[in-house]
Amino acid sequence: MKSRFSWFNVTAIVFGFAFLYIPILILVIYSFNESKLVTVWGGFSTKWYAGLLQNEQLMDAAWTTLRVAFISASMATVLGTMAALVLVRMGRFRGRTLFSGMIFAPLVMPEVITGLSLLLLFVAINFDRGFWTIVLAHATFTMCFAAVVVQARLTDFDQSVEEAAMDLGASPVATFFQVTLPIIAPSVVSAWLLAFTLSLDDLVIASFTTGPSATTLPMKIYSQVRLGVTPEINAISTIMIAFVTVGVLIASYMTRMQSTRAEKERRAVDAGAK
Amino acid sequence: MRKWMVIAVPYVWMLLFFLIPFLIVFKISLSESEISIPPYTPVFDLTAGWETIKTQLGQLDFEKYHFIFSDELYTAAYWSSIKIAAVSTFITLLIAYPLAYGMARAPKEWQPTLMMFVILPFWTSFLIRVYAWIGILKNEGLLNALLLNLGVISEPLTIMNTTTAVYIGIVYSYLPFMVLPLYASLEKIDGRLLEAAEDLGSPPWKTFWQVTFPLSIPGIVAGCFLVFIPAVGEFVIPDILGGSETLMIGKTLWSEFFNNRDWPVASAVAVLLLLILIVPIVAFQWAQQRSREAGR
Amino acid sequence: MTISPAINGTASGTASQDRRLRTAAPQSGFAPWKDPAKKPIIRFEGVTKRFGDFVAVNNITLDIYEREFFALLGPSGCGKTTLLRMLAGFERPSEGRILVEGKDITDLAPYERSNINMMFQSYALFPHMTVERNVGFGLRQEGMPNDQIKLRVDEAMALVELGKFSHRKPHQLSGGQQQRVALARAIAKKPRLMLLDEPLGALDKKLRNQAQFELMRIQEQTGTTFVIVTHDQEEAMTVASRIAVMNQGTLEQVSTPGEIYETPQTRYVAQFIGDVNIMEGKVVSLPGDGTVDITPASGDGRIFKAGACQGLVVGQQVWLSVRPEKFRISLEQPQSTINVVKGRVDDVGYLGSISHYHVHTEAGNRVTALRANSSQSVERSISWDDTVWLEWPADAGVVLTA
Repeated sequence: MKSRFSWFNVTAIVFGFAFLYIPILILVIYSFNESKLVTVWGGFSTKWYAGLLQNEQLMDAAWTTLRVAFISASMATVLGTMAALVLVRMGRFRGRTLFSGMIFAPLVMPEVITGLSLLLLFVAINFDRGFWTIVLAHATFTMCFAAVVVQARLTDFDQSVEEAAMDLGASPVATFFQVTLPIIAPSVVSAWLLAFTLSLDDLVIASFTTGPSATTLPMKIYSQVRLGVTPEINAISTIMIAFVTVGVLIASYMTRMQSTRAEKERRAVDAGAK
Repeated sequence: MRKWMVIAVPYVWMLLFFLIPFLIVFKISLSESEISIPPYTPVFDLTAGWETIKTQLGQLDFEKYHFIFSDELYTAAYWSSIKIAAVSTFITLLIAYPLAYGMARAPKEWQPTLMMFVILPFWTSFLIRVYAWIGILKNEGLLNALLLNLGVISEPLTIMNTTTAVYIGIVYSYLPFMVLPLYASLEKIDGRLLEAAEDLGSPPWKTFWQVTFPLSIPGIVAGCFLVFIPAVGEFVIPDILGGSETLMIGKTLWSEFFNNRDWPVASAVAVLLLLILIVPIVAFQWAQQRSREAGR
Repeated sequence: MTISPAINGTASGTASQDRRLRTAAPQSGFAPWKDPAKKPIIRFEGVTKRFGDFVAVNNITLDIYEREFFALLGPSGCGKTTLLRMLAGFERPSEGRILVEGKDITDLAPYERSNINMMFQSYALFPHMTVERNVGFGLRQEGMPNDQIKLRVDEAMALVELGKFSHRKPHQLSGGQQQRVALARAIAKKPRLMLLDEPLGALDKKLRNQAQFELMRIQEQTGTTFVIVTHDQEEAMTVASRIAVMNQGTLEQVSTPGEIYETPQTRYVAQFIGDVNIMEGKVVSLPGDGTVDITPASGDGRIFKAGACQGLVVGQQVWLSVRPEKFRISLEQPQSTINVVKGRVDDVGYLGSISHYHVHTEAGNRVTALRANSSQSVERSISWDDTVWLEWPADAGVVLTA
């Protein structure tokens, strides 16, 4: 289909991507601004980055955020994979509708509600608020995203492969670890990455569920954003953006390589068969 | 035995950390406010025995809901949340559709790259992306500087801390959520259908309205729900870009909780927000179910 | 469905018939189902399976004997796959018992049925394992030492003639090769009972015919009992020692391929296997010489003779079925007057080795007849609108009561 609209398509894509990327680009550019004023370009400088390293509070917050994200994403991946197995493989059982509702609802639930309700739970059971309450809260809301990612993979997975394993004498547990898990592994990794990023990102739920002892990076950034735009925030934002961009680029490059290789092998086989 | 355990672990987790917290929110929304820690009464004291619980149950009332409905501030906040979410969903659709359409018609080898560039902003921090707009939109910001230099305007526009800034923020932040389902449904359309339509004498614009657009409706529906539902309860965007002028319920809940420390009212606000969202959430789930079944 | 257009079916039906006759000699003694002293290896006892309101398998009782190549044949949804999956342990019967070698296995999980292995329709190869690891999977589950696994894997791979691919992944193999791996994986466990669910369904026709003979070779070499599920009647006729024709969860007939073709017991079986002409009629008389006289239901008073079956009574409603190749079609009126029908040729289909003729009879029926094109137009060929006579021997007509 060589469309005669292609000028239109190109324009739409260019404008769409300009809208998506110009604000981010500006933010990155001004993180290298010598001047403290956002609108005035005072020459190139990396002094704000150097300043970050000296900002102990910020570094502390960053370290807390990474630890929360790592632990909660790992918990969410295990729980989410189990939830996906329950939804796809366990058939009908009493309370299944409630369960799928509980997995689906947090995906669209406003964060303010999730945050408030979890806080009230922690208060009601007298749980000391801080690092671990954020971890529990993040594990809960990100496990639903993890479940959806793994569920999608399990659904288009040929179930007879699992049956074959059991037919050959593997118990359900052996089947899961030897057959199911290796096959769905890429989606489990994606689920972990998604949970990790969502946790890194979260401001609202962390603000509700934390105590005085734990401050995450988004909370720190938020409190400074309220005071106005500073090149220092631009600098830390740029680092976070670079971090994520490199990760996503590597991940997509690897999946691309994998699928091209599989495609090549398949073609070679087809050619050999003829 | 093991099957039972696999079900029980996530089930109990979700009951404990999702369902029970909601019941607590509901319960506290029926309690009295108090200046103490925690700032509400009564709390169920299960050790106090059934009689005490019964008297405590008797103390629960709907006074907070009464208060919310009688105070114009709250009703206005609900209405304006729904309005802002609806308008920005529509604007998002208008911007996302041409982009998704262009992507779906782009050369096949380009499509994964384009997809990746739509998803990439989604992976970067929401807060940072909203923050990026402050430098652009504020009175002495880049947009005004640009327009002043070009001579389009003679004095700076006030965009920051208005509803317009909130619209821009929501559209910008949620654009990927709209583009992805749209692209998915547009990309699925068999190119031969369009050729058939043109072969039967339909001009391109008619082909679009009679073939492409109707076939992309599932994508439109999914995208609109994905933008509208979270936008209603949005807190970060109105708080950072909207200033004090913008009323949105997420912000009201936050300030009720953190500034006024009135937990019962915050809980009642949350319960009402949930009631408002239940209709679109259920509708969305139903629509997803239907399109899944149609796909089989 | 008086005339089914299953031309291929008829042609190949006869072809496999020939093969059956050729190979029947060495197998002729093999008929354990006729020996009352023989114990069956599999016994279904009143097995019923329901899915909600849907009855997939309805009260089936069936014996399968050791070394049999047993085919479950029927259209999709007839319950044949469900029956097989109950044997493998993936479904539990709603009612009834399943015995294997006299032992009740109804409640055993698939992985507890170590003497039963299955080959899946989709092959279900483990995509993340090499061919070698795939084939050795079942043996590793048993905890067999590695050197023994290696021997058994090599043996199985040699059996399916797939030695040189052992280090490839499944997606690097062609469909035919994948099918062999699936077979080798199940056979490597040396099961007493091998289940095959549409094993050749994904192969093209030529490869499929080759694979059918290969399955038979392997079955004979290993002495394993095979149960195959298929919707392809030709495949069932080719490979099976006995066929169970299934319809809507019940067994219509369980017989050897020859019996199924030559003496079907119901109209369903007659129509499912090959092509057939069926006429509704009534029993007029039973002369007592092993034949029966039938008059058509259309009521033109003519009498047809056919081989009688047991339990017929005069006046009973029956159906007369005649295979198209049993007709002798000619341009001249035959001398005999028994079982002769006059008609006009509506349509001729030339298929090279054979031709088939759609004949519109005087009584208003449409009948299909087949003729082998054995001589090159020595006699005048039959063409459109020719008046022809169809004649068939009395024992070619089969009387069906259901």
